[in-house]
Amino acid sequence: MGQFIFRRTLYAVATLFILSLTIFTVVRLTGDPVTLMAEPGAQEADLALVRSEWGLDQPLPVQYAAFVKNIITGELGQSFNYEMPVSTLYFQRLPNSLELALAATLISFVIGIPAGILSAVRVNSAWDHVGKTIALLGLSVPGFWLGLVLILVFSVWLEWLPTSGQGSWRNLIMPAVALGWYFAASLLRLTRSSMLEVLRSEYIKLARLKGLPAFAVIAMHAFKNALIPVLTLAGINLVVMLNAAVIIEVIFAWPGIGRLLYEGIFQRDFPLVQGVVMEAGIMIVLINLLVDILYAYIDPRIRLTR
Amino acid sequence: MQGNDGNSNRFALNRRGVLAGGAAALAASASRTRAAPVVPQGKLTLAWHTNIAARWLDPQQHDGTASPDNFLMALHDGLMKNYRDTLYDHPALAERFEFAEDSKSATFSLRAGTKFHDGTPVTTADVKWSYEHYRGAWGEVLRERTQDVELVDDRTVRFHFKEPFLDFPILMGTANVCGAGWVVPAKYYQQVGQAGFLQKPIGAGPYRLVSQEPGVKLELEAFADYYRPVHIKQFTMVSVPEAATRVAMLERGEADIVYFVPGELIERVKTNPKLRLAPVVSGNWWLEFPGFQNPSNPFHDKRVRQAISLAVDRDAINDAECGGMGVVDGNWINNDVEYGLEWPKWPRDIAKAKQLMAEAGFPNGFNVDWVTPTPNYYSRGERIVSQLQAIGIRSRLQVMERGVYLKKMQGGMREWPGTQIIFNATRIGGTWSNWYDSMFKCGGFNSKDFFCVKELDGLFSKYLASFDRNERKQIAEQIQKTILEEYYFVPVFRHAFVNAIGPRLAMQKWQDVFPTVTTGYAYPWEELQLA
Repeated sequence: MGQFIFRRTLYAVATLFILSLTIFTVVRLTGDPVTLMAEPGAQEADLALVRSEWGLDQPLPVQYAAFVKNIITGELGQSFNYEMPVSTLYFQRLPNSLELALAATLISFVIGIPAGILSAVRVNSAWDHVGKTIALLGLSVPGFWLGLVLILVFSVWLEWLPTSGQGSWRNLIMPAVALGWYFAASLLRLTRSSMLEVLRSEYIKLARLKGLPAFAVIAMHAFKNALIPVLTLAGINLVVMLNAAVIIEVIFAWPGIGRLLYEGIFQRDFPLVQGVVMEAGIMIVLINLLVDILYAYIDPRIRLTR
Repeated sequence: MQGNDGNSNRFALNRRGVLAGGAAALAASASRTRAAPVVPQGKLTLAWHTNIAARWLDPQQHDGTASPDNFLMALHDGLMKNYRDTLYDHPALAERFEFAEDSKSATFSLRAGTKFHDGTPVTTADVKWSYEHYRGAWGEVLRERTQDVELVDDRTVRFHFKEPFLDFPILMGTANVCGAGWVVPAKYYQQVGQAGFLQKPIGAGPYRLVSQEPGVKLELEAFADYYRPVHIKQFTMVSVPEAATRVAMLERGEADIVYFVPGELIERVKTNPKLRLAPVVSGNWWLEFPGFQNPSNPFHDKRVRQAISLAVDRDAINDAECGGMGVVDGNWINNDVEYGLEWPKWPRDIAKAKQLMAEAGFPNGFNVDWVTPTPNYYSRGERIVSQLQAIGIRSRLQVMERGVYLKKMQGGMREWPGTQIIFNATRIGGTWSNWYDSMFKCGGFNSKDFFCVKELDGLFSKYLASFDRNERKQIAEQIQKTILEEYYFVPVFRHAFVNAIGPRLAMQKWQDVFPTVTTGYAYPWEELQLA
């Protein structure tokens, strides 16, 4: 087991190294941040000063070494735009994103899982068709469009909810629905297919033959087992919603990490973009590492697989 | 040149008799001050159209762009500044200023009793420190030319220059170019450092900062000790990057002013009787032909460039892109900068354009590799592509992301091979020479080796070397005239930066909320009132 954990940790470190190198290279391919900061009236000397101040005049390996050092020390560098440590900015916005992501997850659960179960249990019925339509709409209606429609209907026409920003629970409803809608659809589909698979299994047939009530078969036996892939997906969805709800956070002026990333990209704020993506990457890699270890613990065959 | 409070001395360089006008204005100003004190009340919310960069809260690191203007005018104050139709020489923290006839010194007399938001007085020492430690745009130029800053007495500060420095007042007073004239509390700044100042900036402006969420929101409150009455008590600036959300906020009454309403939303605001559009005429748009000096380039022939000017339907572009609210004038340089030349509207005449093309040896037109508009205004480029087809110029639209575009612009001709048209645009404050220097001059920041008209660059050097204001004006006009008459640039229009105002603000016309001609923003903030 120790060897397995060591090997997996090594993979995780290698993944993070590749990720850091990719982010570092890609953000620099998008242009010079200093030129974007400057208006045409700015002087070349001013730009040179800014480059030197931010270390952008250094050779790339030196810049990369500074970036890696920052990751290791947990600082993630200093944002050009905010002139604050990226980690401070990230953790300032994290609670907001967490609030939104949890609300969206809740909505995706409330819509996706019951509808998925219903679709599977009443396969090819009207319920199933409704479920499939919801899934289709959820996956095909873009979040930004849904967000704008929600604002128009519930804020402008009906005047029920505030248009944007963060404040009371009322501010949370529309962004959470717009964000959770897509994930509800994906959960619905996965719950449905997972339930269908489980419902066809021998032990479910046996449970029915034993005369267990339908509710007990579905809730106690089928759903429990069908839930494993659903929860795995939900966990990944949560990380994605936490770090990459860019469009929804921009539309609803929600001060989260996704919007921070958008601002960083828009302003060519290299350290900010690098930092936010690295944080997300670290989060995903760590979660995967944890899951791998848990799987290996549960199923010894996994730890023997090279 | 001298200036006094309330004296609108536009382009007053070297103008005599200002004192009389200034005295009258002072009297008027004093009578205003004697009126019943204003008790600020209510709340104003501004929906800002991008994120809010922390550096915009610190005049010491002004980046030379227009955006800091919006924030500086609330939090800070300068010795003098642009204000309503006064371009750069409106007295602010200085109640009086004087530029020596030989342009080798400038003296400012501070207004009595002005304070920073922490209650400490604004002193000449703060002025000196702010100037000497300024490290933003044009800082190098100011340092190179300044001999020293003398504290004459408690309220008087004098800047001495190594040689005549004619652009000094413009640099000091133009908030969207340079921040050296903006005064910060020296002791506090040194105590908290740059990073600390960005988190809790203290200024001498009409509003003090109550709290901020970096990049997202600023909560401000009327500063009771400001030397002018401030009418609205609470002021929130919130960043809302999505235009449709900004407009919805205005419709719902969640915002009172929103910046930048794009074309597709203009009609929605226009048809709402509660809302009002504020189309502030802003940057200029023109066509340029990199490499036209090369004899093999079809744009080398003046007749071709003239034909293009005759083929462009400027009114149609203005109508489609700005709801007709831009201005179709003749110069590529804004007329609200020093020596900006007024020029009549260009004619449109397809028949004559075709004739010129034929005379130039292109009766069937020619191919242009790319037409590249300034990002993200791609539809404007499409209109040019389509309009030039009328005279046989066949081209394709090149769409670039903004960062890539800027990088290519600064790369010079090697980045723009073949036959190219750039639909360029900018807005630069201060003086015409900033425009020429960066957009046309050989080696300029954005012009590199695109044009290189030696004769004009020679004249420009003469302009820079001259200390004679009349001569400078004459040269400035001569250069601009040549560029226009030779069609080196083909001006198209000045677009409108379309903003919108909600029903809670008191106004007769939108200009009451957007009175300052040099900016697209709504200041002076202290003058805005709720209905």
